[in-house]
Amino acid sequence: MNEGKRGRAVRYLLVILVMFFIIAPFYWIYSSSLKVSTEIVAQSPTLFPESITFGHYANLLSSSDYPIYLTNSAIVSFATMVITVVLSTSAAYGLYRLPFPGRKTIYRLILLAYIFPGSLLLIPLYVMLSRLNLLDTQLALVIINVTFAAPFSVWLLKAFFASIPFELEEAASLDGASWLQTLLLVVLPLASPGVASVAIFAFITSWTEYMFASVLIISDANRTLPVGLAGIIGQYVIDWGLLLAGAGATTLPIILLFVLIGRFFVNGLLEGGVKA
Amino acid sequence: MFSKYPRTLLAFLLVAILAFALAPAQAQDAVEIVIWHMEQPPQRVERVQGLIDEFNAANPGIVVSQDVQSWGEIYTKAPASVVAGNAPDILFAIPDFTPIIRELGAVQAVDDFVAEIDETHGYLDVGIEPYTSDGQVWAIPLWNMAHAIWYNVDDLEEAGIEEPTTWDEWASAVEALTGEGRYGIGLPANRNLYTDQVVYNFMINAGASALYNDDGSLRFNNEQTVRALDFYSQLSQYSPPDSPSWAWGEAEVCLGSGTCAMVNQFAFLRSYEANGGDPANLGVMPMPVDEGVEDPGTISYVNAAMILTDDAAKQEAAYEFLRFIFQPENYGLFLNMEPGLFLPITESGFESESYWSDPLVVKYREQLETVLDYSRSGRLFGFTGGQTFPSIARISAQNLLSQVGQLVVVDGMGATEAAEEGEYLMMEAIE
Repeated sequence: MNEGKRGRAVRYLLVILVMFFIIAPFYWIYSSSLKVSTEIVAQSPTLFPESITFGHYANLLSSSDYPIYLTNSAIVSFATMVITVVLSTSAAYGLYRLPFPGRKTIYRLILLAYIFPGSLLLIPLYVMLSRLNLLDTQLALVIINVTFAAPFSVWLLKAFFASIPFELEEAASLDGASWLQTLLLVVLPLASPGVASVAIFAFITSWTEYMFASVLIISDANRTLPVGLAGIIGQYVIDWGLLLAGAGATTLPIILLFVLIGRFFVNGLLEGGVKA
Repeated sequence: MFSKYPRTLLAFLLVAILAFALAPAQAQDAVEIVIWHMEQPPQRVERVQGLIDEFNAANPGIVVSQDVQSWGEIYTKAPASVVAGNAPDILFAIPDFTPIIRELGAVQAVDDFVAEIDETHGYLDVGIEPYTSDGQVWAIPLWNMAHAIWYNVDDLEEAGIEEPTTWDEWASAVEALTGEGRYGIGLPANRNLYTDQVVYNFMINAGASALYNDDGSLRFNNEQTVRALDFYSQLSQYSPPDSPSWAWGEAEVCLGSGTCAMVNQFAFLRSYEANGGDPANLGVMPMPVDEGVEDPGTISYVNAAMILTDDAAKQEAAYEFLRFIFQPENYGLFLNMEPGLFLPITESGFESESYWSDPLVVKYREQLETVLDYSRSGRLFGFTGGQTFPSIARISAQNLLSQVGQLVVVDGMGATEAAEEGEYLMMEAIE
């Protein structure tokens, strides 16, 4: 009994320790973003703001195009998420449920997309998208983000699709369902944790993508949050309050997303790992 | 009576049709100029846009627009845009960026226009040299940026220390200022451009400004460089333990918070003011000089505009816009998109009322006068002695000066060995 209590106490301690390391950086960003500039750079840092100000957030909204960057990021990330889910579930269904020659080879080759470092592809992609008149468009970012998110998503879905008994599909087929109906009405509901994981993965990948967004977007009107935020920080002269407010406002949507549907992502990753 | 109306109506219609027909023709005739610059902070973008709007309003035949890029990506993006055929008409530059775009054959020589601005406004001697290569000028100098030693006046006064002028005095001052939670100096040792700049300042003031001999061979490994590295390493002992990971922002905070007594930096007036800094406590001085060095100075970056368009009408429109920027009533406004950091590169700019009337410039006038005077001795590695060697772009891109700085400060390597290693690394980079 004592050993049980001690074990539980150790577990709680470990959880608290891990939580501390996870939460501390966020706390520091958000609490500092509410401090006045002099307090942010004070020689002795303060744990709690001595006087709270929302001035840095007001400055962020008034002096930068933050609302435009936020809207662009939301559009690109949402579109990436939807297209990645549609493409990867269709591809995964085809690869793991429908027999056809070369299926295993394709499955093995699918992660080859990650062999090339993204930076090597920058200039060829820039030239290619320029010829297609897609440079400086959100569509270009969606195409790139889907290209990089989809292969891993297909691979991730394998475990979920493999765990669904073939008998269910056969029963649907006997009832006269087409392959599309089988996919939508039988397979996908059973693989929903995996689909949710793919959706969140695609959304976050797109939300945080910096390299391609910084090179393929030219005008401020089409810039996404990470690139727009990097721009307002400055190189030689840094406005720390603005930087912290920007960091807080950029991470907030992702934190909310995780609070609302994060457990699907975690479950999905865990199940994906176990079922394979 | 009634017959008058159809005629009036007809006349009105004709005028309307003519106006409608002419309007697109005028728009079609307008020359469009796209500028890419890397001045991203919002107040800089706003200031440039204000000047563009004023120019466009006064010049109906020209439409200038700006697209703001980042220094982090421009080295990839600009060459890609040249290859893809959608490069901007004007691209802002620093000296070591120009050779990269020149190699692609995209930069226009601007000798005549630079001569015109020089005649009208008087370029500083340090202005044109970094952009002169193969007997031609490849960019139009716009402004200067220069490092200096910034210090807390109270710290030096309390310790009874005068501004040091020699390295011996400096070493004693830094040592005396260290203690009780304060560091005598904040020196970076990160592998980045900031450390490149600081290491080069030590080299300049040890008499090792030139990285190349006249024939283009490297002369990094020499007695003066060894002396510079050794002294940089010696002073770094009095720098905060986290300083090897610094960029410009951390140095500024270290001084502003009183943790460091002095730092080597560009002018950072806007953030110093925003962080509650006291103008009376902000001192600035030239970097002290090693014994026997006759040509001391500081690192300076002359920022410039490259003309990429080969269309004669666009080139003339671009020049017209730049003439507008150099007019003293506009030039001060242009520079004060970042007060203190961007310094005039023309003599007329030094005297421009629009420059000296900015509230922040008024407040820190004394400090700025010191920096402006010091900026006349500015220079940049690879662009000294009237010769430019394009291979410097590769040395600069890999931050090799800072890598050598890391060897002595972080890895504890001796200065002699580090200078040898540095020259080897540079040769590898440029071969």
